[in-house]
Amino acid sequence: MKDNNIDHIIELSNELRWQIGDEFHDNLTESIYADAAEIVKDSVKTQDGEKRFRLDAKIDKIVTSKTWGFPIMFLILGTVLWLTIVGANYPSSLLASLLLDTVHPILRSGADSVQMPWWLSGFLIDGVYLAVAWVIAVMLPPMAIFFPMFTLLEDFGYLPRVAFNLDSLFNKSGAHGKQALTMSMGFGCNAAGVVATRIIDSPRERLIAIITNNFSLCNGRWPTQILIATIFIGAVVPKSLSSFASLLAVIGIAVLGMAFMFGVSWALSKTVLRGEVSTFNLELPPYRPPRFWKTIYTSLIDRTAIVLWRAIVFAAPAGAVIWLISNIHVGGDETIAAWLINGMDGFGFLLGLNGVILLAYIVAIPANEIVIPTILMLTVMVTGIGGGAGAGVMFELDSINATGDILKAGGWTLLTAINLMLFSLLHNPCSTTIYTIYKETNSVKWTTVASVMPVILGFVVTFLVAQIWRLIF
Amino acid sequence: METYSPIFALVIFFIAVALLYVLFRPVKGWFWIIKKAFHTNEKVIIEDVLKQLYHFETSKNKVDMKTLVQVLDFKHADIVEAIKKMTINDLIYSESDVLKLTEEGRDYALRIVRVHRLWERYLADKTGIHKKEWHDRAESMEHRLSHDEAEELAAHLGHPKFDPHGDPIPTKTGKMASVHGVELPLLPIGSVGKITHIEDEPEVIYKQILAEHIYMGSMLKVIENNATRIVFESEGEVFKLAPIVAANLTVALIEKEVVLEDNVARLSSLKINETAKILGISRENRGESRRRLLDLGFVKGSSVSIDLLNPLGNPNAYLIKGTSIALRKDQASKILIKKD
Repeated sequence: MKDNNIDHIIELSNELRWQIGDEFHDNLTESIYADAAEIVKDSVKTQDGEKRFRLDAKIDKIVTSKTWGFPIMFLILGTVLWLTIVGANYPSSLLASLLLDTVHPILRSGADSVQMPWWLSGFLIDGVYLAVAWVIAVMLPPMAIFFPMFTLLEDFGYLPRVAFNLDSLFNKSGAHGKQALTMSMGFGCNAAGVVATRIIDSPRERLIAIITNNFSLCNGRWPTQILIATIFIGAVVPKSLSSFASLLAVIGIAVLGMAFMFGVSWALSKTVLRGEVSTFNLELPPYRPPRFWKTIYTSLIDRTAIVLWRAIVFAAPAGAVIWLISNIHVGGDETIAAWLINGMDGFGFLLGLNGVILLAYIVAIPANEIVIPTILMLTVMVTGIGGGAGAGVMFELDSINATGDILKAGGWTLLTAINLMLFSLLHNPCSTTIYTIYKETNSVKWTTVASVMPVILGFVVTFLVAQIWRLIF
Repeated sequence: METYSPIFALVIFFIAVALLYVLFRPVKGWFWIIKKAFHTNEKVIIEDVLKQLYHFETSKNKVDMKTLVQVLDFKHADIVEAIKKMTINDLIYSESDVLKLTEEGRDYALRIVRVHRLWERYLADKTGIHKKEWHDRAESMEHRLSHDEAEELAAHLGHPKFDPHGDPIPTKTGKMASVHGVELPLLPIGSVGKITHIEDEPEVIYKQILAEHIYMGSMLKVIENNATRIVFESEGEVFKLAPIVAANLTVALIEKEVVLEDNVARLSSLKINETAKILGISRENRGESRRRLLDLGFVKGSSVSIDLLNPLGNPNAYLIKGTSIALRKDQASKILIKKD
C-alpha cells in the first residue's frame, strides 16, 4: 500500500518534469539572479560609480590603445627582465664569493683539522654543500628582484590589461590571455609560473599554461645562454659587433621559446586536451596603488622562499650524486661519470652535443643553475687538462676566455654551442617545477607529459640542426 | 660511427616520423583503424542496422537490403549475416523486400537513439568538446553504454528532453517529445518563428550552419524565400542560406501575435558609446560558461556598454554593473541585447 503510494508520486513527478520542460531550470536560475540584481539596485547606494570614468579610463585608453599598448607592454616587461638579469649579477657574485670562495675553503680546512675521512668531506662539502650553495647564490638574487617587481605590477592592476591585449593571439592557439602572465612569470622561474596558472579558471587553458610554461627561459637558464652566446656566437662576428650578436642570439632563443609555447599550446588544444572544459572570462579590475611593503613581504615569503626551499631540497641530493659518480670507480680506472659519458657520446654526437652535456643535464635535473659548473668539472675530468678543483667539485671561472678554452679543449664547436643553447631551452623542467606541476595538477599523466614532451622536442630540434649543419659546413 | 653520414641519419629520422604519422595520425591512422575494427563486432552492426531502420521508418521511407548496405559502412557479408540473425531473433521482418522493425526491434532501436542523444547532451553540457565532434563520439558511445549506465547519465543530466540539436530524447519507456515546426524553406515571407532543431547530418551542411553562427532557440523572421536563396533576419543580423542548407533548420512558427522587438541584437554588435539592456543568454551558451556569465552579472535587465576596445580586435571589455569584463566575440554573440 505504502510502496504503491511512492511509485505513484515518482510517476507524477516524472510526468510533471516532462511538462515543465528543459528550460525551467535555467529560467529559475536566471530569475533568481535578476531578482538579486533588482534588490541590489534598490538598496545599495554607490558613490564611486562615476570615478572610474576619470583616471582609470584614461590609463586604460592608453595602455590598450593600438599605438601605445604594445610598446608600453614590451617596455615594462623588458625593463623588469633587464633589471632582474643585470641587477642580480652584483648580489649573486657577492653571495658566490661568500659561500663558494670563503665558506667552502673554511669548511674544507675545518674537515681536515678534525681528520674527517676524504670521502665523507668530499661527499658532504664538495657534493651536497657546494650544490646547495651554488643554487642559493645563483637563484636567490634574481628571484628576490623579479618576484616583488612582478607582484607590484600585478597589484597595481596592469597585468590583466596585458592579458586583455594579447588574448586574441593566445585564443588562436587555444589558450587563455592570462597565459601571457604565467609565461612572463616563467621568465623568472618556471615553478612560480606553474603556481601562477591558478589565475586561469578554465581547466583546459590552465593545463595548457602549465605544460607549456617550461618554454619560458627561466632565471636558471639565462646565465647559461648569455655565457655560451658570449663565448661562441660573439666570436664569429667582428669584435665591435660581438656583444650585440650574442645579445641577439639570446633574445632569439627566448623568442623561439615563445614560438614553441604557441605551437605546443595549439597542438595540445587540438589533440589531447580537446575534451577538457573551456570557459573564458577576464575581469579588468580598477587600478589601485600597490601596497608596497605588504607586496614585498608576501612575494618574498610566498614565492621566493617556497621556490628556493624546494630547489635546495632537490639540489642537495644532486650535489651528492655529482660527487659520487665522479669519485666511484667501476671496474679498473673508470669513474661512473666517465663510463656514462663514453656510453652517451655516440647519441650526443648525433644531436650535435656530447656525452658530457647529456650527463650534466641528467644530474642537473634539480637545478638548471648547476649545468655549467657540472659541464666544466666533467670536461676537465674527461679531458685531463689542468684547471678545476678536483673530481666531483663543481667550479666556474671568473674569466670568460678561460671558460671558453676549457670547453674548446672538450671538443666544442659553434654547432655544440648553438645546440646547447637550444637544448637548454628545450629540455625537461627542473625537478622543482616537475614537483610543482604534480602538486598543481594532481595527475601523474600530465606531469609526465609536461616533463617528457620538451625533451623529445629538444632531441628532435638539436638532431635536425646538427644534421643540416653538417650537410652545409 | 663509421657508417654515419648526416643524410643517412636524416633519412632514418624521416622514415621514423613518416611511420609514426601513418600509424597514429588522427582518425585515419592505422592504429586507430585497427582499434576500431577490433571494436566492430556483430552487436555494433545489429544496433546500427536497427537505428537506420528506425530513422527510415520515422521519416516514412521504405528501405530494402540494397539501400541499407549503401548507407552503412560495414562489409556487405557482415550486414547480411547480421540481418539473418536479427530476423531469427524477431527484431525485424521483411515484407516483399522492404525491411521492417518488429515491436521489440523498435524498442531496441529507441534505446540506442536514447543513449546517442543523451551522450550528445552530456558532451554539450559537461565537456569542452566542439560541436563538430559530438555526433561521431556519440556514434561510438551508443554501443558501449549499458541500460543502467544510461539511466544514471540521464539522472545526472536532469532527465533532459532534447539533445543539443533539438532532437527529442526518448525516455526509458520510449516516450518522446515532438519537435514543433517545419523546415525553414517552407515558411512564407514575413513569418516569425523560433529555431527548434538543427540537423547534424550530413556533416558538410552542418559545418556550414555552424560557420554562420546560427544558434538553437534564436527567433527569426523570413525576409526572402525563393528557389535560389532564403534570407532571414535574426537577432539583429541578416543571414543568407541556400535552400538545401536552410532545409536542415526546423522552425516553429509563432502563432500568437508576438512583437518581434526592434533593436534586438547580439552583444557583439554593440558599438562604442552605445548602451543596451540585456535580454538574455542564448541556449547555445551552456554549462559552466553560462553560469560564469550569470555570476558576472549578465542577467536580464542589466545595462551594458563597451568599456574598452581591444587593440587586436578581440576580446572587447564590457562595462556591466560597474565592473569591466572582457568577453570574446563568440561569447558576446550569444548574449542578446536591446539597444537603448
